[in-house]
Amino acid sequence: MSLPMDYDVVIAGAGVIGASTAFHLARRGMRVAVIDATGPAAAASGASDGAVSVASKKPGVMARLATASLLYTRSLAQTGGPLHGIYSARPGYFFATDPAEELALDSLISKLSGLGGPVTVTADGNGNIGLAGLGPTVRRLVTLTGEGHMLGFEAVRAYLSAANIETIWPDRLMRWEADDAGITVETSKGHLRAGKMVAALGVSSAALFPDLPVLPRAGQLIVTDRAPGQPLPGALTAASYLIAKTAERRALPNPPVVIDPLVTGQFLIGSSREDHGDPSRVDFPTMRKLVARAVEVWPALGARQIIRTFAGIRAAVIDGMPIVGAVPQTPRLILATGFEGDGICLSAVMGREIAAMVAGEPVTDGLAADISALTPRRFEIGEARSA
Amino acid sequence: MSGRIYWNGTPVPFLPGENAASALLRAGIAGFGRTPTGLPGGVFCAIGQCQGCLVMADGRLTEACLLECREGMRLSPRGGMNE
Amino acid sequence: MNEPVVLVVGAGLAGFSAAAEIAGAGLRVLVVEQAAAPGGAIHRQPLPGIAYPVASAVHRRRWTQVTASVRAQGDRIEIRYGCRFAGLDHEGTALLTGARNALVRPRALVIATGAAERVRPRPGWTLPNVMTAGALQIRTKTLGKAPDGRILLGGSGPLLLAAGAELVKGGNPPVAIIEAGRPFRHVIGSLGLPLPYLREAAGYMATLLRARVPVLTGTEIVRIEKRSGALTLHVESSSGGRTFDGDLIGLHDGIRASDHYAAASSIPVMRAGDCREALGARAALADGRAAGAALVAELTGTVPASAKDSSRIERERRAQRRLARIFGHDGSARLAALPADTVICRCENRTVGDLRALGPVPTDRDLRLHGRFAMGACQGRFCTEWVRALTDPSHAGSPLGAVRLPAHPIAIADLLDAGGIADNPSTGE
Repeated sequence: MSLPMDYDVVIAGAGVIGASTAFHLARRGMRVAVIDATGPAAAASGASDGAVSVASKKPGVMARLATASLLYTRSLAQTGGPLHGIYSARPGYFFATDPAEELALDSLISKLSGLGGPVTVTADGNGNIGLAGLGPTVRRLVTLTGEGHMLGFEAVRAYLSAANIETIWPDRLMRWEADDAGITVETSKGHLRAGKMVAALGVSSAALFPDLPVLPRAGQLIVTDRAPGQPLPGALTAASYLIAKTAERRALPNPPVVIDPLVTGQFLIGSSREDHGDPSRVDFPTMRKLVARAVEVWPALGARQIIRTFAGIRAAVIDGMPIVGAVPQTPRLILATGFEGDGICLSAVMGREIAAMVAGEPVTDGLAADISALTPRRFEIGEARSA
Repeated sequence: MSGRIYWNGTPVPFLPGENAASALLRAGIAGFGRTPTGLPGGVFCAIGQCQGCLVMADGRLTEACLLECREGMRLSPRGGMNE
Repeated sequence: MNEPVVLVVGAGLAGFSAAAEIAGAGLRVLVVEQAAAPGGAIHRQPLPGIAYPVASAVHRRRWTQVTASVRAQGDRIEIRYGCRFAGLDHEGTALLTGARNALVRPRALVIATGAAERVRPRPGWTLPNVMTAGALQIRTKTLGKAPDGRILLGGSGPLLLAAGAELVKGGNPPVAIIEAGRPFRHVIGSLGLPLPYLREAAGYMATLLRARVPVLTGTEIVRIEKRSGALTLHVESSSGGRTFDGDLIGLHDGIRASDHYAAASSIPVMRAGDCREALGARAALADGRAAGAALVAELTGTVPASAKDSSRIERERRAQRRLARIFGHDGSARLAALPADTVICRCENRTVGDLRALGPVPTDRDLRLHGRFAMGACQGRFCTEWVRALTDPSHAGSPLGAVRLPAHPIAIADLLDAGGIADNPSTGE
């Protein structure tokens, strides 16, 4: 039976991945609907620090994809592009206060040189080389140029403001059914029929895809009041953050901390990695540990107040890599989830490549191998089923 | 004990047990600098809820309406001396 | 802290009566109070050495009894003044800041932080020397005399009359009281109030009449302006507009419960008094006792006390509802007519115009992330009600953004200074 199509593609999830995918599909002339149970950037995308950074990525697949995405983000941010005024370049600072962190900085530098740009090391030395105001325990600071920043909820809004994108929220996806001609989607408000569906559900993936090993991983975040005077020009990140992302989790002498200057003059300090999905779960001892390290490294924070705390919930995958690609046996359904805090950085390139997949075209030649590493086929997820 | 605190270097008398907001208001000081977003700082709720009366004391921001005066305490508007 | 205590936040009527009840059952209590002395709002004490001529004998007796009941418990109750509660996290750890910063793990928590005032935004309400009417009451009670200068009180509610009477007794009658409602038209309705309320109201009115303080009813504050070092209050009623010159303006549009955040945690958490439900002094006393008794029952596994106190609370609730009707008026038209440059969010300096720019039905996310409402230091305490009223009245009462830790801004220096509990080794990396 051939039911009339409401849309060419329906995208479940109005986070940054879903939004970028919608933009790229609309740019190909397709009719797109984006459905979200809550609204735009409701989960991780709205809680993020917004870093568009290659430095923080695991070497290999992730660092290469991030490099491609950083370059593409920069081009989308040119005048007239969707991310103009949304993405902005800013320096990145990585610091070390112990030998393990210094080794991590060495690895970072060799990783970046192996990628051949666009991120370059513009300063590397003791303490205050490259940045005044660091605390005395900082042994080494590496300054990176070429990366940037965009706020998740602004990026989502920018991607979704393109024509031919219908946004539907709040509306929850209840179930779907794929047939030879398309996908029928049942939501809390009715039915939709589309040729294909992209599921970019982040932490909510588990509800609709119980076999998918996507797990919530919370990170506590602290927001300060506004600081007078010159802010940090870019985020200040502990090199142990790089170790935390790339190695097995183990007790580190100094917890990874990121001090992120917000445009308002406030600071966002984070974070932890905890295996739960409750955004209200913050605790004073963890808060204190993060803040203590932050103040040690950036003493100006000692005069500030904490006005708000929360936990951002990342969608983590058991093997540390996102899940992108068509579901086995259900080619009309494409998954795009598990970005664990890297969604904003990867949104530009992922949106473009997923749109290619949806259109039945090959992905960008130089990225094909890396993108195929993200396939859902690496897990035994069985038949996709409805909620 | 009564005594004097200092606002922007100017001495301001206080009564025993008095908080800084009360002492400043009695001295005719109603404007406590500017908030980071440009509004006048000052006493509004007087119970530590509105954050309007924040002043710098000992290098940290604190609500003047909850700050008990101590002899010689030096206060200044948020953002520093002389705004 | 050597043994688990029950933490009581607030040394007012509810906090003290709860503390006495709990200590009376043999449990140890730590009361923390942000001010330098107990009393909360209603029983705000004069500074040491100052006699406050205004409190009635009944009023003083009530406080004397409550403080005596606390003293009778001896060292089972520890009270820390100048100490603030910054919230309880999900692991049951509470942060206390002030003279002694500390992380503590109480066995139970009673929140008795009282009420706060609602103040409707009006043009000029952010000027210096414009504050809540309650702020003027606090100054009068602590100093034993009214502030100097020409004082104007305005908004709506019985507190304006009480504050006005206190200013009279403090030696400086207000120039005028501006009341948006028409309480004096509700004579029959007023008779339904409990006798103590009527006596109190009669007392205030007698004081105001003797001092010839004009009480303008059915009159709204339109705007406040600064003019040559003083303030000018513009008001409007059905018979036209007029202005008053003044030096201090006290605004008040009602009372709301002042909640403090406590995570869902494994320890019992009770709320007592005006912070649970704004019902005034008599209810706070009963509520504190009831909360204390219920907590003791829960902690000791015994049966809670009888429902005697709950009928008192029900009586107060009915009285408050009646008062709300007596002073009731529809401020929504005034709110909707506010000029675009009227500040709504004082912390972030966000105006009516900024709110309208978000569109007809902004989501909470729009309001917070794009509008920056409720994103500042006061955590939405003073703007949320009006943001809701102007965008979606059906959401009235719901916080803007989830209520979280800390309960109020805390100095990083205080958090780092807080002793008591070692860093948690199991979270983070």
